[in-house]
Amino acid sequence: MMPAQVTAPDGVLLVLALFLPAISLLAIFVLGLRRPERIALPTLAAGLVVALIVALQVGQSGQAATYRLGGWLPPLGITLRADGLSAALIAMAALILFVVAIYARGNFAGTAGGAESRQPMVFWTLLLGLATALNTVFLAQDLFSLFVALELLTFSAVPLVSLEGSRETLRAALRYLLFALAGSVLYLIGVALLYGAYGTLDIASLHQVTRADRATSIALGLMIAGLMAKAALFPLHLWLPPAHAGAPAPASAVLSALVVKAPFFLILRLWFDVAPQPQPAIAGTMLAVLGAASILVCSVLALRQARLKLMIAYSTVAQVGYLFLVFPLVMGSEAAVPWASIGWTGGVLQLVSHAFAKASMFLAAGLIAEAMGHDRIDDLGGAAQAVPISVAAFALAGLSLMGLPPAGGFVAKVMLLTAAVVTSNWWIAATILAGGLLAAGYVFRVIGKCFADPAEGAPPRNAVARSRELAVLSLAGVALLLGFLPLQPFAYLGIGQGGMP
Amino acid sequence: MTAAGLLIASGLAAPLAMAAGCLWPGFRLRAIGWIWAAPIPALLAALFARGGGIVMSPDPLRLTLALDDVGAMLLGGAALLWSAAGVYAASYLRGKPGIEGFAVWWLLTLAGSLGTFMVADMTSFYLAFSVASLSAYGLVSFETTARAKRAGDVYMALALLGEAFILLAFVILAMGVPVGNPLIREAVAALPSSPLLAPALILLVLGFGLKMGLVPLHVWMPLAHPVAPMPASAALSGIIVKAGVIGLIRFLPLETELPGFGAGLVALGLFGAFYAVAVGITQRQVKTVLAYSTISQMGVVAAVLGAGMAAGAPGTALLAGFYALHHLLVKGALFLGVGVVAESGQRRRGLIVLAMGVLALSLAGLPLTSGAFAKYATKPLFGDGLAATLATLSAAGSMLLMLHFLRLLRQMPAADPDAAPEAGIWLSWAVVAVASLVLPWMLFQPVTGYALADLFAAKALWTAVWPILLGSVLALGLFRIGTALPQVPEGDVIVLAERLMPLVRATGLGIERADRWLRQWPVASAMLVALAISFAWMI
Repeated sequence: MMPAQVTAPDGVLLVLALFLPAISLLAIFVLGLRRPERIALPTLAAGLVVALIVALQVGQSGQAATYRLGGWLPPLGITLRADGLSAALIAMAALILFVVAIYARGNFAGTAGGAESRQPMVFWTLLLGLATALNTVFLAQDLFSLFVALELLTFSAVPLVSLEGSRETLRAALRYLLFALAGSVLYLIGVALLYGAYGTLDIASLHQVTRADRATSIALGLMIAGLMAKAALFPLHLWLPPAHAGAPAPASAVLSALVVKAPFFLILRLWFDVAPQPQPAIAGTMLAVLGAASILVCSVLALRQARLKLMIAYSTVAQVGYLFLVFPLVMGSEAAVPWASIGWTGGVLQLVSHAFAKASMFLAAGLIAEAMGHDRIDDLGGAAQAVPISVAAFALAGLSLMGLPPAGGFVAKVMLLTAAVVTSNWWIAATILAGGLLAAGYVFRVIGKCFADPAEGAPPRNAVARSRELAVLSLAGVALLLGFLPLQPFAYLGIGQGGMP
Repeated sequence: MTAAGLLIASGLAAPLAMAAGCLWPGFRLRAIGWIWAAPIPALLAALFARGGGIVMSPDPLRLTLALDDVGAMLLGGAALLWSAAGVYAASYLRGKPGIEGFAVWWLLTLAGSLGTFMVADMTSFYLAFSVASLSAYGLVSFETTARAKRAGDVYMALALLGEAFILLAFVILAMGVPVGNPLIREAVAALPSSPLLAPALILLVLGFGLKMGLVPLHVWMPLAHPVAPMPASAALSGIIVKAGVIGLIRFLPLETELPGFGAGLVALGLFGAFYAVAVGITQRQVKTVLAYSTISQMGVVAAVLGAGMAAGAPGTALLAGFYALHHLLVKGALFLGVGVVAESGQRRRGLIVLAMGVLALSLAGLPLTSGAFAKYATKPLFGDGLAATLATLSAAGSMLLMLHFLRLLRQMPAADPDAAPEAGIWLSWAVVAVASLVLPWMLFQPVTGYALADLFAAKALWTAVWPILLGSVLALGLFRIGTALPQVPEGDVIVLAERLMPLVRATGLGIERADRWLRQWPVASAMLVALAISFAWMI
């Protein structure tokens, strides 16, 4: 065994990224039951700073940042590692969580001096739980830590759905919990099989030893199916629309933008880091077929929803579908390594730009609903006058979902299209374009209604805070800024990938 | 960074800055009075910055503006028409509801459309084209009638479809050049050797053809042009349509000899030229007739491009551009003129209708007008065969359609025999009309290389005159049977497409039912198990 000096100095920040939200979660229990946001908000701000420093350091050094907890080497110890992809994703998560927190002060401010109330405290602790879980998913390097992270993620996400406590949202949360549980069971069986076959759960070690045999196939098949259930890929999306539509707006934003991305990230890791290479093409195609079905079916369903939040929720299932198109695009490319292919970069960019756009969209929908008193799409006339900034943010975010320039979604779409054409996957190209048209349909439908004249005798509108509107706009702005990235594979996302021994 | 480059950049920056200024309510309320000024820097650029260029951002983004001869010619014409239509719009729309939003959409459409003439890299072209294309929705659907709503919906759906075609074509084009954002000419130079040449060309014609109104992709035009306010119709039919033309000019590999594909485009274009006349003469509304005339004329432009491509003839781009400029100015003047006639009493109409007559017959190639120049300059591209005969015959079709138009124009009702249009309206019309008559005289020799005297040779005159005579004879026949012709609904084949709507709705309902079934607990659980097993088996 080597001594503990292998830990790079910048790796300490990774521990901070994990433990800051965890510790402040405990602090809320001990100190801040009345004003939990006073603990949570600074924590998330600090988390953002940490994540940005990590991302910068990784970019500057051109190497992954690593930390081995307790100085133990794997497989005995637990390793945290931020390569270019992980660093980009923790920065994305930290930024979105911070902006959502600013927005959520309007929904879940504790009452000064009054009795502690249940909802704010639950919301802020769960938000910190999500921050811990997400960072762990993006940084952990062994399949069991990842399992724990996934469970923490699920247990933080499910109660957020039922925060309102209505019968309907409780049903949605229960459904979410049960299906996520089924996914966890499949994942856990897979982990056990791998441990039985190879005696290790460390991803770097598995990468070197996995063989294409029956036990490995079964393990990976079960784990991927389980993760697909958690990512709500069609036809396993039954839980997502009611859950994401029923949650309060800031919770919906985090669930749709970040939580469903975590299982996809793990599928990516299983596929490219754990599974013996090369993977059979048919399995990659199968994932892409399900992704394409998600895009087409759920975009049509989004078009037919009467309620704004349900429409956005169905759009999430559709947009997650784009991520699963990546597999045949990467496998069919001539790039020497997956992360040097345009399909890989396009997929990651789709993940990131959708996260910002969707967070902005759910938050905007929340403000529109607060102002109008409802979220029936057909009766949104006058919303553009009531909350102009929110409607503008919704439209900008919609630009990214439709894949129109100059939005991040556009660059992602062009990269995926290019990859589809290069690998002669014309059906994928056609699906991407059709998905864009359908997205345009459901986004323009809402915007058109928002600009319509208000109905006769419409109830008076409620005011919403300008600062919350600006928070929503800032997220849409980030989605837009991503559109100015060049149309090439990003070297940044490949940092540390080659270092996988 | 040169003075010319900065002038070109200001041509794009000015309308965008004004659009951004509309975020400030103080300016937004008054913006309509200033939209005429937005295209002035672009007009100056077209006059003084030809051959200039500027790189707006360094590698790897390298957004680049450059003004070549075709670009400068169309930019100048478009800027002139935008400015005149802006003056016109300020008078025409005064006091109407929604006018502030209209100004914003106007400025954005203007910026995008001028941008298409001066950008040199693919990303900027797509951006400019999209901005023009999508913002024009605000101009089409300005009126809040059901008819305008339908026109706007059809316009938007087809505009987005066109974007999808173009995007895929661009992706194929960009594959040939190993940089992030290729210049258009680099990508087009690499296209002929691409194994995906055929799909790329088809996608380009589909995408830009939608914008040009190439039959059968023209259906939005006869719906959109009549419902838009008069100055917006002039901009749509005169300028926005040219975004499709400049797209084909820029992206088709015109210098490479591609006989098969060129012939296909000629056939498609000429078919459209005659088809639009046939449908147009059954129409009863002046603006709809003008819309069909645009479809017919754009068919001719497509045929010109196809003929040039079939022969790999050098200079095709410039000649097609010259034809497009002629149509841009004449059609702009005709649309603006319809408004002038509508606001003039019977006593004042004589001279106006006469001027409109000259403009209209220019589209049929009346000697001494821009139409005659454009037809003369493009004729050699067609050679001597069937295509040449059909191209000449299409002028007879235009003549027929334009006489039908003039007849409808004269019948337009006027409430007050002494009514007179405001100065802003008739002056801006007059400026465009005069420009359409004068500019081609100045440009003909430098652009085409022919001497002006060639136009007055007996043979050239006869070639121009006989289609006009033929068209007139046909028109006499048309007026005789007159209203006995069945009226084809506006947008012709769109009506057939709309019959499919119940089927679309039924599909949507079916998907909804399937989703409800899939979201049942036992079904979803069974799916999960099935997927787990099949992945375990496949991996």
